[in-house]
Amino acid sequence: MIMNMLEVKNIYKNFGSLKVLKGVSTTVEKGEVISIIGASGSGKSTLLRCMNLLEEPTFGEVWIEGQLMTPVDPYLHFDVIRKSKTYKKLVESGMEDMDAIHKIKSEDLLLEKHSQEGSEYKALMDKIYKENHIETNLGRRKMSMVFQQFNLFNNLTVLDNIMLAPIETAKYNKVKDMAAEKAKIKEQAMTLLKRIGLEDKANVYPSKLSGGQKQRIAIVRSLAMNPDVMLFDEPTSALDPEMIGEVLDLMKELAAAGMTMVIVTHEMGFAREVSDRVLFVDEGYIKEEGSPKDVFDNPKDPRLQDFLSKVL
Amino acid sequence: MTIGSIFHDMWEIFITYYIGQGLLWSGIGYTLLLSAIAVVAGALLGSLLAIGKMSRFKVLHWIITAFVEIMRGTPALLQLYIAYFIVPMIFSSLDLTPIACVAVGLSLNSAAYVSEIIRSGIQAVDKGQTEAARALGLTSKTTMLKIVLPQAIKNILPALGNEFITIIKETSLASTFFVGELMTTYAVIKGVTFNTVPTLMDIGVIYFVMTFTLSKLLGLAEKKMKEGA
Repeated sequence: MIMNMLEVKNIYKNFGSLKVLKGVSTTVEKGEVISIIGASGSGKSTLLRCMNLLEEPTFGEVWIEGQLMTPVDPYLHFDVIRKSKTYKKLVESGMEDMDAIHKIKSEDLLLEKHSQEGSEYKALMDKIYKENHIETNLGRRKMSMVFQQFNLFNNLTVLDNIMLAPIETAKYNKVKDMAAEKAKIKEQAMTLLKRIGLEDKANVYPSKLSGGQKQRIAIVRSLAMNPDVMLFDEPTSALDPEMIGEVLDLMKELAAAGMTMVIVTHEMGFAREVSDRVLFVDEGYIKEEGSPKDVFDNPKDPRLQDFLSKVL
Repeated sequence: MTIGSIFHDMWEIFITYYIGQGLLWSGIGYTLLLSAIAVVAGALLGSLLAIGKMSRFKVLHWIITAFVEIMRGTPALLQLYIAYFIVPMIFSSLDLTPIACVAVGLSLNSAAYVSEIIRSGIQAVDKGQTEAARALGLTSKTTMLKIVLPQAIKNILPALGNEFITIIKETSLASTFFVGELMTTYAVIKGVTFNTVPTLMDIGVIYFVMTFTLSKLLGLAEKKMKEGA
């Protein structure tokens, strides 16, 4: 079995009556760099935030390295649907197997409470969950996120910003020799700071840094967790123009080093240069996806053509 | 009665009664005692209320919200009256003094205000801080203890200082029950001298010196704290 790094399956996200995502699926493979583009309000940031469950998807599943982050979505499992009382009733009334499944899926017929669909149904749901589920916090440690507003911890120095999560992880793993572990984490943090040329800022508080410095530190703070996937939510949108370059350069370096990355961005030139694949999100759907060449030079979707004509 | 004679009488009364009979020290003592009890108990209880109000348990949330709204929406004097009569009934075995009952009333009142100070202080911390912590896989408890609370305290402490000053002034309501704090001295001195205005003005000066000094001290502490970060 080829294990995908990150997989979102049929994600729906509603905020009250507002439907932001309307069934989005995609797979991120190891080492892949994916850019998500689209107009403001298209749902691209929500899609990214659903990947690490900062937003809980209304329906759908998120898988990280073959492990399930979300609850089981019964509509994604035909074998589960077939166990439901609703399905059995439809089949008894003379409906064909696939027709019944299709009807249940399209009309959202499964009952909210698992027990209402019978014990077999509930047992299978529980089994799938038990076999595949990973605790949210553990899943998140595999995929760190970089934010538009940097979100460095204001009450901690740069060094402590980088060290906090690795130290907490070590505590969680009940590492025996914490002193040695902390020294190791500190050394790693300093190495990361040197890599971005900011080792002299180690003991400075974030309020004393420029936007570009903050974002580069936020990126190495994520790197300190040795993530398997990095999520970037418009990492350069809050930066002064002269600082965008330094952040993009660091991201290019990561991409070249083989980091798996999902990037929501407005920087089309950057997306074209570093991406293996580009997703165009519009009105809650992935309207088009493909290589940067296909998406930028030969867009098929009229909304994408319109979008590109405005931003390029 | 001329303005000059008011100042003259203020001085006379201050020397004779406040210094001579020691009413200044007893009055300030009881006032500060009541305020300190109300602030400390209010802060402890207020923290619990704030935590309860932010909890996921809806019933707890509603009960606390109702309590806070009622305490903020009714006069403190009324609350003190009710405490004055009800507290001895509830703790009938303890033989509580009036000042203890008043302290309970003031503490409950202050807890309601403090809980709002704490809650808004926590909620004023940028949401991005929590998101960044959770995205790094930190638990909600670690996020609260290591990231949110240290930042919230900077919002909370100055407001808590102001609450202390407010309470110092509110303890004057306790004079209704003749518990011996600063405002009670008015009734004592008036009973002997029948000289109202100079006595009241003495009391005003004493309150002002207390609150003004405290607010300056708090200002200094706040400045120190800002430089620290």
